[in-house]
Amino acid sequence: MSVDNLLPLELIDKCVGSQIWILMNGGKEFVGTLIGFDDYVNMVLEDVTEIDLNSTRTKLPKILLNGNNICMMVPGGDGTWVEAEE
Amino acid sequence: MSTNGDSPEEFKGDSRDPSGFLSEIIGAPVTVKLNSGIIYKGDLQSVDGYMNIALERCEEVSEGKVIRRWGDAFVRGNNVTYISADSS
Repeated sequence: MSVDNLLPLELIDKCVGSQIWILMNGGKEFVGTLIGFDDYVNMVLEDVTEIDLNSTRTKLPKILLNGNNICMMVPGGDGTWVEAEE
Repeated sequence: MSTNGDSPEEFKGDSRDPSGFLSEIIGAPVTVKLNSGIIYKGDLQSVDGYMNIALERCEEVSEGKVIRRWGDAFVRGNNVTYISADSS
């Protein structure tokens, strides 16, 4: 996916229909399929996994996530990351 | 459904965006999770653009068990993390 000269919300718009990883302000995370979003970046997600601070995973079929506490979104992310090398 | 809030796209009924999803699940059983971690389950009576929520048959759930029954309840939108459509 080319991200040259792309506004942030255009990047999110490109993610509609695909998997996205959402990191909340408090450290909670959501992984799911992005169905849609609005100007506040409230998001509709499907087949969601909620990952709370002690890594407990909860499955949710379809949710409206409040955009208020969203910190970061990773297109295509599945909740895993790569450790940086020393 | 009340639309007194400042919803950016004023509920136009496309299920791909948040307002469309909301109109899709009005009347249905939902789970509402607050930023504090409290979970409420009930029938979604109405929502507005602030995510203020009116729930019927509202129950407070903790660790999978109903701990309180509230009946009709109003939840102020700023506390809401998510609204989830219950699969059943």
